[in-house]
Amino acid sequence: MSAAIDRLLRERRLIVCVGPGGVGKTTTAAALGVRAALLGIDTLVLTVDPARRLATALGLDALGDAAQPVPLAGLAALAGAPAPGRLDAAMLEVGDAHDALIRRIAAPEAAARIFESRVYRIMSRTLWASHAYAAIERLGDALAAERRLVILDTPPTRNALDILDAPGRLLAFLDEGVLTWLEGQGSGDRRSRLRAGGDLVARAARRLLARVAGASVVADLGEFLGLFIALRPGFVARARAIEAALRGPECGFVVVTSALEGNLADAGFLAAGLRERGVHPEALLCNRAFIPAPPAPASDGGDDPLLALAEDPGERAELGGLRAAIEALRARVLAGNARARVGAQELAATLGGVPLALAPVCPREPQDVAALAELAAAIVDG
Amino acid sequence: MASDPLRDRRLLLFTGKGGVGKSTIVAALAVAAAARGLRPLVVELGHRASMGGLLAGGRAIGHAPAAVDDAGRIHAMNLDQEAALFDHVLAQVKVRRLARAIVDTPALRRLFGAAPMVRELVTLTRLAALEAEEQAEREGGGPRWQPILVDLDASGHARMLLDLPRVLRELAPAGPLATTGRRLEALLGDPARALLVLVTLAREVPAQETIELEAALREGGLAAGGLVINQVPAPPIADALLPTLAWATERAFSRVHALPGGSPLALDLAFVRRCQGAHGHAVAALGRLRAHFAGLPRAEVGERPGGVDPAADLRAIGEEVLRDMSSWPDEVRR
Repeated sequence: MSAAIDRLLRERRLIVCVGPGGVGKTTTAAALGVRAALLGIDTLVLTVDPARRLATALGLDALGDAAQPVPLAGLAALAGAPAPGRLDAAMLEVGDAHDALIRRIAAPEAAARIFESRVYRIMSRTLWASHAYAAIERLGDALAAERRLVILDTPPTRNALDILDAPGRLLAFLDEGVLTWLEGQGSGDRRSRLRAGGDLVARAARRLLARVAGASVVADLGEFLGLFIALRPGFVARARAIEAALRGPECGFVVVTSALEGNLADAGFLAAGLRERGVHPEALLCNRAFIPAPPAPASDGGDDPLLALAEDPGERAELGGLRAAIEALRARVLAGNARARVGAQELAATLGGVPLALAPVCPREPQDVAALAELAAAIVDG
Repeated sequence: MASDPLRDRRLLLFTGKGGVGKSTIVAALAVAAAARGLRPLVVELGHRASMGGLLAGGRAIGHAPAAVDDAGRIHAMNLDQEAALFDHVLAQVKVRRLARAIVDTPALRRLFGAAPMVRELVTLTRLAALEAEEQAEREGGGPRWQPILVDLDASGHARMLLDLPRVLRELAPAGPLATTGRRLEALLGDPARALLVLVTLAREVPAQETIELEAALREGGLAAGGLVINQVPAPPIADALLPTLAWATERAFSRVHALPGGSPLALDLAFVRRCQGAHGHAVAALGRLRAHFAGLPRAEVGERPGGVDPAADLRAIGEEVLRDMSSWPDEVRR
């Protein structure tokens, strides 16, 4: 395992894995969790993985919102780890997280009315929901519990920066000004009404909204907003606390990518966005970065041990063909490894020279905790 | 029964997980389409700009459709949400200054900032408008763009986009949004007008996710119309050499003096065996995709280990995809 990653695991209370979709973030988060536990650190891995495979890999029937212990029996001994920490895993359920948030900060009657709101039902349950905000909510819970380390696998949002932006956007939306604007009631004097956007423009905009969306949708939206605005102080307190955790010194962001050009580019954009928001990634982890390959045979004049297996000239010729094929394969693999390494190093430099860790290509997705531990062990400094 | 996917529909939408090479496939098809005398328009959706590098020699691609090749046959655009929203509002209120003032209204911006479906609505409406554009009679009439190739976001967001018509109907069973939703559904759900192509890799997890994605889309009333399996790896060792590998390995390990584990030959043989194993998993994933999507027009594009050179490789890749897909019967599952 890369020394840089080990250091992060030991020193941070919260590690956030961000990165483009499809690069193996969930597997990486799980592998880091197993590694941390083997280092003796009590860890919670909070994932976003709707498929069963991660649950299977962790030896669990299913992953749910409640943290479950991951069995590490036997693994610790194999890995030579003296006293493994506890490893728990939980999965983010978006709909449930929104409901939990509402229940936390709203009185029961208010919560019930919100749950009935058509707008809320649609927004919270479908893919339209802000996964990021729900993730942050769940994170708040996790940090409150007494755990040494939380590893957060971020949701595959359009823009992984949502995890930092969503609370602010939501709070801006839940604003008295928006509601009064929507309902066409200017508050106070003419000057403040004008400040709210100008009568003519505001009327035109509302007419447009009603024409495009329909009066009933606008009314639903108004009702939804009205219900939510009452909850604003609760949201604010929550959002501030979590923002502080994400930006504090105990939190480390790890950018996860793969060696594919497209993913490297996406990871670069993402990292730039993080920096713009005042967050500096502490490591870059590149998945599927290399296929382990032994070095080419030394040309010291000695007989090729492969060719030496031949018992007649015919066999020798045959083995010569095989040797050529092996060398061609090795050359391709080493060239691919070099390309991936260069690409990842260039990205690490763009990120301000962050430590780079390279994970190998796994022949198949890790199927169990031992495979996750193996993957972690095979991650090297880049 | 065979059909030409490029000619038969105006709108082709490509989706797949991040990193499968969607953009390369879309660019390749655009080049192949232009070479066949068509007038393709590539639409990239906002936040990631890769078409510039693939089609325009690295130059940035703007919001308005513009030619990216010297012959002026291939057009491309990067659909900017803000610009598209402005266009949408302008179409309604007709007066530029009013449209600008509306779009700049803080309350409205906050409303839209927290409502993701607004972006999707604006995107789909723009795509529908592009699909409907006709050329002037003096230019020959007919569709302005043929075909429109849309590089959708990675599948999660493509699903949000394609889910929009249904969500609109749920939000407001009657009214203008419902009408908009029906109109968009009519476009996306009609195989004669729009084709949804899934792009994937010959690997266990992408294959599984593609199968799940297709099922989810079908549940929502949208049928996939094609499948592209990208970056299919070549066998590490030619099949003809496999018998040789087998007897050589057996002999190496059964010699009187056992082969030391760390010896170069043992390492080399283990290396080849690992590569073979990995390839076996890729072949299994490929088999699974072929079996599961047997009724779907399908193309398999070989891996190009050195990467794709836009100038040299795109047309060949595009032709490869078209050839493969055209040779399937035109069956679209509903």
